[in-house]
Amino acid sequence: MAASLRRRNALIGLSFVLPNFLGFALLTLVPVLALFYLSFTNWNVFGQADWTGLANLRRLAGDRSFWTALRNTLYFTGVHVPVTLVLSLALALLLNTRLRGVRFFRTAAFFPYITSIVAIAAVWNMMFSPETGPVNQLLGAVGVAGPPGWTNSRDWSMPSVIIVGVWRDLGFYMLLFLAGLQTIPRDLYEAATIDGAGAWQRFRHVTLPGLRPTTFFVTVVLTIGSLKVFDLILVLTNGGPGQSTLVLSQYIYQKGFVQNQFGYASAVSVVLFGICIAVTLVQFLVNRRRSA
Amino acid sequence: MDRSRLTRIASLAVVAALALTGCSSGDSGDESGPVTLTVGGWSLATTPEFELLAEGFQKSHPDVKVEVKEYDAANYDTQMTADLSAGSAPDVYPIKCLCTFATYQGGGQLLDVSDVTGGLDETVKSAAAPYTVDGATYAVPYREDGWFLYYDRDMFEAAKVDEPDGSWTWDDYAAAAGELAKAPGADAGTYTHTWASAVQGFANAQTADGQADFLAGDFAYLQPYYERALELQKSKAAVDYGTATTNTLTYQGEFGTQKVPMMLMGSWYIATLLAQQESGDAETFDWGFAPAPQIDASTLSSPVTFGGPTGMGINAGISDRKVDAAKEFLAYISGDEGSTALAEIGITPANTSDAVAEAFFAVEGMPDDELAKSTFSTRVIRPEVPVSANTPTITTLLNDAHTAIMSGSSDVPAALEAAKQEYANQIGG
Amino acid sequence: MTLTGTRPVTDRKTTARRRSLWPVVGHAALIVASLAVLAPFFWMVLSSLKTNNHVFTVPIRWTPDWHWSNYVDIWTRSGMVTWVRNTLILSVVITFLQVLTGSFAAYGFSRLRWPGRDVLFLAYVGTIAVPWQAYMIPQFILFSKLHLSNTLWAMVALQAFGAFGVFLMKQFYETVPEELSEAARIDGLSEYGIWRRIMLPLSMPAIASLTLLTFVNVWNDYLGPLIYLRDPDLWTIQIGLKTFIGQYNAQYALIMTGSVLSVLPIAIVFLLGQKYFVQGIATTGIKG
Repeated sequence: MAASLRRRNALIGLSFVLPNFLGFALLTLVPVLALFYLSFTNWNVFGQADWTGLANLRRLAGDRSFWTALRNTLYFTGVHVPVTLVLSLALALLLNTRLRGVRFFRTAAFFPYITSIVAIAAVWNMMFSPETGPVNQLLGAVGVAGPPGWTNSRDWSMPSVIIVGVWRDLGFYMLLFLAGLQTIPRDLYEAATIDGAGAWQRFRHVTLPGLRPTTFFVTVVLTIGSLKVFDLILVLTNGGPGQSTLVLSQYIYQKGFVQNQFGYASAVSVVLFGICIAVTLVQFLVNRRRSA
Repeated sequence: MDRSRLTRIASLAVVAALALTGCSSGDSGDESGPVTLTVGGWSLATTPEFELLAEGFQKSHPDVKVEVKEYDAANYDTQMTADLSAGSAPDVYPIKCLCTFATYQGGGQLLDVSDVTGGLDETVKSAAAPYTVDGATYAVPYREDGWFLYYDRDMFEAAKVDEPDGSWTWDDYAAAAGELAKAPGADAGTYTHTWASAVQGFANAQTADGQADFLAGDFAYLQPYYERALELQKSKAAVDYGTATTNTLTYQGEFGTQKVPMMLMGSWYIATLLAQQESGDAETFDWGFAPAPQIDASTLSSPVTFGGPTGMGINAGISDRKVDAAKEFLAYISGDEGSTALAEIGITPANTSDAVAEAFFAVEGMPDDELAKSTFSTRVIRPEVPVSANTPTITTLLNDAHTAIMSGSSDVPAALEAAKQEYANQIGG
Repeated sequence: MTLTGTRPVTDRKTTARRRSLWPVVGHAALIVASLAVLAPFFWMVLSSLKTNNHVFTVPIRWTPDWHWSNYVDIWTRSGMVTWVRNTLILSVVITFLQVLTGSFAAYGFSRLRWPGRDVLFLAYVGTIAVPWQAYMIPQFILFSKLHLSNTLWAMVALQAFGAFGVFLMKQFYETVPEELSEAARIDGLSEYGIWRRIMLPLSMPAIASLTLLTFVNVWNDYLGPLIYLRDPDLWTIQIGLKTFIGQYNAQYALIMTGSVLSVLPIAIVFLLGQKYFVQGIATTGIKG
């Protein structure tokens, strides 16, 4: 009986997953598997893909630009993820209250995410302009001597990109948190208040646990998104000055589409994939232990 | 039908077509019958040349239909690479940048079209030189753009500075820029656009070993050019690089709205400026163009600048019956007829025969002084970058050096040394 | 004042004073934040009222030229009508498919136990971790073999079955108390019935978010249409706007005009759909 029940369950489970999975497997999974194969070849798009074994990986180990790109990617991710996470949660909490005008503000907070990336790059670059930009003029007005060169300086280009990244992504993750907050039953707060819990305790013991699935989702998506950051860097600094904001995704694009070394580019992608998966697995395990 | 016979027939057909330019019987009739030729192009709304050439060709070849397939200007090579890899690329496609020619040619994506160039004007043959590998030519240039010095005569007059006379060295240019910077209403004396080629292109073309050193990964030859560029921006004679990048300055806006009295820019800007003055995007003022400044007096008689051809090649995957028509199309676009049509909209064709030059200077609004005419006819255009399989990689690492130097993040020798090491890292030393 | 738990608080003794200060501080924070957030949009509107060569200047001009003709030109000089129509069709179809198949699959992943489930799910999440530009060409070749490229179907195939929606919905289903489904099972509801009658209604905020995010992503997607759509009749807004950047001539004012116009529908969808984001379990009357 147990066996037939299990088979029935499996069939029902599969029937739910199948409509999406069929499309996904054919259209995404197959090309992704091809990519893994190509990472062991010297494919240049036009010709045959010759098996070169681990040659690409060996080349990676000695490729300084790759290590620079990797370092920059981790720098971006390491700062961008926690800052975005905390700020978007704070924003969601703020916008989940009944302040007047909150409806308007919710829409406004989402605007950076829907504004054209060309406009975003243009405005932020202009704000960061070393001599004429409002940011440095403000810093000068409050007495900061020798303000940073922002996108035009090797040391400040990455912080600049991170600032714009956080600014743009806030609305997106705020929305997810906002949706997550709705799934926490209100009577839990009422019960906690009756038990004499203060606001901070309600936040710690009701809001945070209730948000755990959302927080997990946001963390995973945000981390992977940050590790793969591409378009923002492309329009803001294009990897410069020098290689100061060169990230892995951009390096993959450069190797593949600019220099026509798709085999090697695939190998870099596999490394990026490996990092993403490792980080995600850790997040899965931490999440499982917490919720257990 | 085997290839060699086909090629022979094709070349005969091309010769016939050339002999009877403008005559409809140039097509190889029985062999191919009515064919539809697809041709790649980009940004058709703002780049009229493709449809102009297609229509002109169809007029003289009624049994060939030419369809222009539109690509994105900024992502042309990405899209074309995808299309070629999937076998859905057009029969004839432009080589948008000399820098990627080796990728297509080396990847076996271009037919040998030496038989077409053989019958063309000498000026086209020389422009086709970068497309020649081991004696065979793989694309036919229809336009060739070189970098000139544009100057705003009204602003020069207001600043009481002598206009360029075709004898400027870089020192003369720098001195004039310094003078012009003081002119009322000018943001700076000159504008150097943010592209790496705006500095490196001149060094590659004008220094004796520029092309060889580029390929060998020894970048010291760039040093004087960068020092001059930095000096100009430090003395405020040129618009600051940081200001230009952070404010997304466009060269069309800088020169076209009279922010700067002079600017070094490719000859494609001629047609743009004419169109923008007509539409009101650019202000109306009296302007001219002169040869790019030279290192010293030795090259003043035939001033050297950088640039390159834009050519079209035939997709190696084209069906056999279309090859003749494709070759005729290539012969048309670089022949007198097609080139004249291009010149009439202010484009600098690769073919600069007298008839074409005459059409070019007859364009409404075109400066037609002697200096402009001699600039057009005596230009010596060396490739912006030498053609090699390593070119895209070297261009990438030199671009990093450019942004590091121009932003002031790195001094010139250090950045060039870093580029040299990166060359060793990527290509092998 | 219901969601009091959301206020950041450090000192319990000052509760009374904080209550009176709170709206002032909260509003001030919101106003500053929304200024920072809306500045680029404001600049976009200004630029759409300038001539092309006046869009980028030093120093920036915060006054428009009142060049209204851009708003006329963009309809007459471009395929704006076609682009909007294509984008709208794609947004609706893809969003519908993604939300439907995604939430359906999410139920299979979160509420039913079957062998291979976790591995399959990991494969889903794994593909999120692969940068698209890396497998773009293999995928393009595959789509071309399936005769999908250069059709709107390519865009549907590309985006309708993404892992993002499955993952998102799965996470939200996990917040719905298991007892609810158990009670329904005892009442004789099939798994499909539970999904339809219990999970779907309860996950409205999540569905609303997923709908909006998918809609925005399709609406603003640039790289996908760039690779797959060559025929101008198939272009979407983002790819269409790029035609204003020629090789030698960039019509930035028109690009900004188009961008302003393209943001408006999303803003409207957002304003209208808002009540769904803030009406969740708490108000749908579930008491467990």
